[in-house]
Amino acid sequence: MEIRIQGVSKRYFSGGKTIIALDNVTLTIPANQIFTLLGPSGCGKTTLLRCIVGLEAPDTGEIRIGDEVVFSKDRNISVPTEKRGLGMVFQTYAIWPHMNVFDNVGYPLQIRNVAKDVIRERVAKTLSFVHLEGMEQRPATKLSGGQQQRVALARALVAEPKVILFDEPLSNLDAKLREETRKDLKTFLGELKITAVYVTHDRIEALALSDTIAIMRDGKIIEVGAPKKIYFDSEHRFVADFIGRANLIQTRVRGTEGGHTIVDCGLGTIACEQRDLPVGSEATLCIRPEFIRLARGEAGGKNVVNGRVESLVFIGEAYEAEIRVGNELLLAKIEPDAQIEEGAAVTFALDPAHCLLLAI
Amino acid sequence: MDQKRSKLTLSLVAIVGVLTIGPVLMLVLGSFSKGLTAFGSFTLEKYIAAYTDPALLEVLVNTVVFVLGSALTATGLALFLAYLNTRTDIPFKFLFRIISILPMMIPHLLFAVSWALLLNPSNGMLNLALMNVFGLEQAPFNIYTLWGMILVEGLLDLPICYLIIAPAMAQFDVALEESSRVFGANTWRTLLRVTLPVLRPAILAAFVLGLVRGLASFATPSVLGMPGRVNVLATYLYQMIATGFSPDYGAAAAVGMSVLVTSISLIVVYRALTAEGEKYVTIAGRGYRPTMIELKGAKYPMFTVVALLSFILIVLPVTVLFYTSLVPYSMVPSARAFSLMSWKHWIEVLEDPISLLSLRNSIFLGVVGATLGVVLSIFVAYAIVKVKTRTSGILESLSFLSFSFPGIVIGVGFMWFFVQTPLYATIWALLIGYIATYLPYGIRPLASAFVQVHAHLEESSLVCGASPLTTMRRIIAPLLVPGIVSAWILMASMFVRELTLSVVLSRPGTEVLAVQILRFADDGLWGKLSALGIIMIFISTTLVLLATLIGGKLRAVEA
Repeated sequence: MEIRIQGVSKRYFSGGKTIIALDNVTLTIPANQIFTLLGPSGCGKTTLLRCIVGLEAPDTGEIRIGDEVVFSKDRNISVPTEKRGLGMVFQTYAIWPHMNVFDNVGYPLQIRNVAKDVIRERVAKTLSFVHLEGMEQRPATKLSGGQQQRVALARALVAEPKVILFDEPLSNLDAKLREETRKDLKTFLGELKITAVYVTHDRIEALALSDTIAIMRDGKIIEVGAPKKIYFDSEHRFVADFIGRANLIQTRVRGTEGGHTIVDCGLGTIACEQRDLPVGSEATLCIRPEFIRLARGEAGGKNVVNGRVESLVFIGEAYEAEIRVGNELLLAKIEPDAQIEEGAAVTFALDPAHCLLLAI
Repeated sequence: MDQKRSKLTLSLVAIVGVLTIGPVLMLVLGSFSKGLTAFGSFTLEKYIAAYTDPALLEVLVNTVVFVLGSALTATGLALFLAYLNTRTDIPFKFLFRIISILPMMIPHLLFAVSWALLLNPSNGMLNLALMNVFGLEQAPFNIYTLWGMILVEGLLDLPICYLIIAPAMAQFDVALEESSRVFGANTWRTLLRVTLPVLRPAILAAFVLGLVRGLASFATPSVLGMPGRVNVLATYLYQMIATGFSPDYGAAAAVGMSVLVTSISLIVVYRALTAEGEKYVTIAGRGYRPTMIELKGAKYPMFTVVALLSFILIVLPVTVLFYTSLVPYSMVPSARAFSLMSWKHWIEVLEDPISLLSLRNSIFLGVVGATLGVVLSIFVAYAIVKVKTRTSGILESLSFLSFSFPGIVIGVGFMWFFVQTPLYATIWALLIGYIATYLPYGIRPLASAFVQVHAHLEESSLVCGASPLTTMRRIIAPLLVPGIVSAWILMASMFVRELTLSVVLSRPGTEVLAVQILRFADDGLWGKLSALGIIMIFISTTLVLLATLIGGKLRAVEA
């Protein structure tokens, strides 16, 4: 089901100060996609999720889930959480400690007065879907973190909601388990026809899981797009910086030539991915560290830059090098088997397709 | 939802306000009035009369020595026990748990009585025995002194001090100590330079609470102080209103004001200290376990000390009382004493209409009072923990206020209040007084239970489609059961043995167990007293066991 959010604002008063958690947010979440709200902490992403599920009431605006208006300030509609028929996985999992796995997962069905044998069957089916077959009688608190997480997921899925919401569900897991669960989650959700709204501050999680990402800051949606579009071709400096490590360089636009926008900057004259920018205007050039590729011997072609390795850190899968070019210091990711040392002069070429220009 | 919540909070503030501010206000008004019947015309007469009484000075000195002495004794012992339990490999640790729940089982009044039976100068059993053994002319000990009172009150306040210090010590991050060791300090020096300073807020909090308890204590001064004419403020006040032909509630209110102000100030200090203590809590991740210090050679001597303390605190009073209830008069255990044993005192007590009435009243107050008290506590704890507005902050302060109430003083305040109402001299007056005075004991376990119920547990039930009512029934209530049960036990066992408030508010027809026991003590009827005392211990212990059983059952059903 599609979710339409129209002009939603939410303020908090805390300690005499007003905090704007959501600032006139308008957003459409397409049906049957994994849609991620990504942003730094305090950007309003969790508040937006809680407004969708009905645990918070916005101050203004309207929220529709499918054809139903679940919240409208103007029409004075506010469907209570329990009538919205959604599923949700909480950051703390919210596994009820006084119930066993069966009761935790079967709860939404018990509430709907589903027949006992049907409940048993569907709980078993859902548990096997999340790889927890036969765990029904275990006390919920005796499970490991990853298992509790999957119980929470099973509970959210068991009533077959059209929309499922995730509030940073992986943030309590350790790094290795987080990676595994992320993959599982992607598989699970891929098999279902379901709209998933996923809140996280972890950019890798967002990139790995999502069909669409919305980046938020200070209660506003900054940019919406597919992971690749956000990573390679974002329109905002904040987004480019937040979604991955980036070298951001001040430039001045010189003109357009052969399908590239040409700019002047500390690296010299660089041909970039084409952008509609007025000649003479200022722009930010964004280069991801992994696209600074050292040339062996003489380099030809476009965007050849000479520099000197100022520092070199071996991090296992790569070297992280800082390369000095004039006044600019660029972060580069270099293959771990490269023959290179600190102080060495290097030459690299930049592919114009990976030289991204951002207005301001 | 928000509106409903703020309405709830407001009405709770009104109820708790009437219960706590009400008696204080009446005490203030009463202290400026001529007498119970002449309420409303104001005068300073009572203050002048009360504070110029030359007897007051001696009472004040006694009070200061008694309160400081007993608080120091209690804190010192608690510190010792807490350290042994949380940080050393002392054997039989279950003894510490028994010591900590002791106050629920053996009422202060009976504990004090058992010491009077052992060490009173004329026929105390231990004194008589020592005189026989060593051929002494005079009794070697006299419990009817300030030192006797300090010892007994110190032992009585030991469990509450222990309950404050032990958790703080258990939460203590050993890395702080380990780093001290790494930098070259030995165990003893680490204890003095690191452990104790970090625990200072908890230790001071325990001490301050000991002071409050000592100031409010009536059982010990009345049983051990009054026979030797060692009066402290509590007994001084009691004599003003309960003995002689013309009880002077005005003067009692005037003196009581100072006690109340002192007590409230101490509680303010206590709260500041516990807040400070929370700042000091530095740890503690999962799977964390403090290192245990090996006592080695000191292990069994230390254990002997703990065992002796447990014996003094638990076994001795019950044994002495039971023995006394069976022998015809006070005598050292001997073949003759055992041959004279009979159920005479028991039969007399069970045929005594006033004793039976007091038994009925106390059970009624325990069961009905605790139930009403817990219901009120549930709402108050919910408002304090979950609503978190400015009004709920007021509610928290209000409910904490009664924590500082010295029973006698607040009883005088309630007296001024109830005299104006038809509740005067009814059992309901006692019920309201009990709930008002002991409300924090209900709120505290419930507040910590509410804290444990994370908002997500509740919200996740709503998302699953359960209505707020179903959520309350299926999720919140079952998670609160342990808190509710422990609050109920605490309140019921306190109500069954309540003394200080009752001696002021109880009237013919509304006698309660403790008041009847005190009356027996005044008349020197030790045998009957002991019989009734054992019944009282039996009831409060049964309550504890029963409630634990029900709590276990309820949890089993949900799981």
